[in-house]
Amino acid sequence: MEERLYDLIFIARPATPEEEINKVLSGIEHTCAEKGGKIEKTEHWGTRKLAYRVAKHREGIYVYQQIRTNHGELIAELERRLRVQDVVIKYLTVRLDEDLKRQKKLMGKREQRAARRPRRTPPAPPSATEQTAAAS
Amino acid sequence: MSEEPKQAQAPSGAPRREGGSGGHGGPRREGGGPGGPGGPGGRPRGKRQYFRKKKVCKFCVEKMDFIDYKRADILSQFVQERGKILPRRMTGVCSRHQRWLGVAIKRARNIALMPFAGSAAGTQAPRAVVPAAAAVEAPKA
Repeated sequence: MEERLYDLIFIARPATPEEEINKVLSGIEHTCAEKGGKIEKTEHWGTRKLAYRVAKHREGIYVYQQIRTNHGELIAELERRLRVQDVVIKYLTVRLDEDLKRQKKLMGKREQRAARRPRRTPPAPPSATEQTAAAS
Repeated sequence: MSEEPKQAQAPSGAPRREGGSGGHGGPRREGGGPGGPGGPGGRPRGKRQYFRKKKVCKFCVEKMDFIDYKRADILSQFVQERGKILPRRMTGVCSRHQRWLGVAIKRARNIALMPFAGSAAGTQAPRAVVPAAAAVEAPKA
């Protein structure tokens, strides 16, 4: 199975001490190691205002991770663990690789088109002009 | 009836046209515009005078092939004050990007980066009402 890239964001309670968050992170790391996944990056966004109330909190500590894995079960397992954690009030996992693949494809197309355009205009081959004339 | 005013206006319109941009279709029609209210008498003058600026898809201009749900600052431009997703006809986003935009906004809502309903101001307003309750909660947690 090909590799998949996931986003994992979780929100911890605003008053959580740093050790607790690190404990959660190490737990994620542990399950990743167990199920064959790799944490690409980890970002601490810090305390942010929530757009709506979550578990009676208006703020939360955001932690963002990117995980690369071959097994979808890893994500299911991670979600199960996050759900159990008392510190985590909300989490989200998003599969990213399909979107990124699409992005890459579109970028390639755009570059192709950009490369084709200048070539067509300066030499103005007779075949191209004939084609356009026939088309019009 | 309708021909006479046009003929009368044509000479007066001609120098204007020369002085202007010298375009073909546009200026002639503009010359006919003032004739309109004189003839049928129904059309308001303002109808031809304003024309809407063509809206261009912002994501196409910036060549974004992927709309990141984490960038709430970008997404919030395409949302009403109360958090509703703006229709395409308001923002000029192309259909493809609007589709992606919808997905991105919904993801952002899921993780509380964007509101489902009610703005950030909406959540601030009740906050002032319940500071006492919040203060009671805080020490408990």
